[in-house]
Amino acid sequence: MKFEYKEIPEGINVSQVHPLRELAVLLGGAVLIIAVAVYVLGLSAGFLARYIPFEMELELVSSFPIETQENAEIDAYLERVNAQVIKAMALPDEMKITLRYSSDDTVNAFATLGGNVVVFRGLLEKLPNENALAMLLAHEVAHVKHRDPIVSVSRGLTISALLSLVLGQSDLGVLGDTGLYTLLHFNREMESEADREALEAVYKIYGHTQGADDLFRIFQAYREEKGDDGGFEFLQTHPLDWKRINAIDSYADQHRWEIEGKTVPIPENIFAAMNASSESAKK
Amino acid sequence: MIELTIFLVLMTLGYLVGQYAEKKHYQSIIEREKRLSGLTTVASRFPPPGKQHDQCLVLGSVVISVDYFKRFIAMLRNLFGGRITSYEALLDRARRESLLRMKEQAAKMGAEYVFNVKYETASISKGRQNTIGSVEVLAYGTALMRPRDEA
Repeated sequence: MKFEYKEIPEGINVSQVHPLRELAVLLGGAVLIIAVAVYVLGLSAGFLARYIPFEMELELVSSFPIETQENAEIDAYLERVNAQVIKAMALPDEMKITLRYSSDDTVNAFATLGGNVVVFRGLLEKLPNENALAMLLAHEVAHVKHRDPIVSVSRGLTISALLSLVLGQSDLGVLGDTGLYTLLHFNREMESEADREALEAVYKIYGHTQGADDLFRIFQAYREEKGDDGGFEFLQTHPLDWKRINAIDSYADQHRWEIEGKTVPIPENIFAAMNASSESAKK
Repeated sequence: MIELTIFLVLMTLGYLVGQYAEKKHYQSIIEREKRLSGLTTVASRFPPPGKQHDQCLVLGSVVISVDYFKRFIAMLRNLFGGRITSYEALLDRARRESLLRMKEQAAKMGAEYVFNVKYETASISKGRQNTIGSVEVLAYGTALMRPRDEA
């Protein structure tokens, strides 16, 4: 018997695939599947959520109180403007809007489950006129009217349940971000829809849309001041400010709505009350 | 956003360092395989007839771990199925390295042949999550040394 050494040929036990090519194919496939699954689930969850009765939504949030400050003067003023908005928007009777004022200096306002709308002093004191305030309230009321809060919550829960089921605790969790970015797409759609409905309400109240885009100019100016240029729209829940301004301008144009007119100022005593509320909050 | 950045950094590091280490390792494996080619290593259980050799057990073992990039690709493969090519090179390296270590040991002992060569593979992480995915490959055989009185 003779034993001799022969050189072993290379590359038989190792597949010759470029690792980056393999990554591109696998990751691309996984991202695509997740995006499609999230989109389909998001659509169906959103569709079903609209059938949840509003009373049920109220019951759901009754156990989570929202803390805000009572301020008779400001509350009365906000209610007065909001009553006009609700009338202009023909809000169904069973939908009750609960307006809440917060003396926090956050430049924001939001609508949440159960028809709760919170307006922060930070944004309120920047508003140049009542028309902008009506636009703001109408935008938030439009979210309630469209059932956006409950739709968002239902979508979020459904999709996070799916993602945690499929991806689990593994390192593939990073793929979950794909799902979240797909969710943002729905959010931006809701915002644009609420903007359009709000603009219509402002037009119905004042007979023109002057002052409506002031709201977004405030956000734009505020972000510029903070040195935040909005970044990639892909990563934002809201459309970029200049896009929103352009969108509502062209929407008003389409319907041949008067875009110029006299704006209604916000009463001086409201600003005084806001100052007082922030002072007392500091104490 | 921070999570994504950490992920990208780990992936890039894993890819660059992992590819470099793999290339270097293969170079060293091929070079040492040539150097030790004179020492015959066979799987046969029956030594060449006629001569009375001294016998001794020789072992070569290596523990090797996968990089982040390869592990991520392997996890994606778990979703789709198919060949886990990223682990193929890893295990190929581990087998050849362990055989080389065994041959080095045999060569130092002055062996003429190594017979009855076998492999054992053991997973160190044993499928537990969030641990380092690493394997041990052990190569062992019977080294045959020319009897002293004959030399």
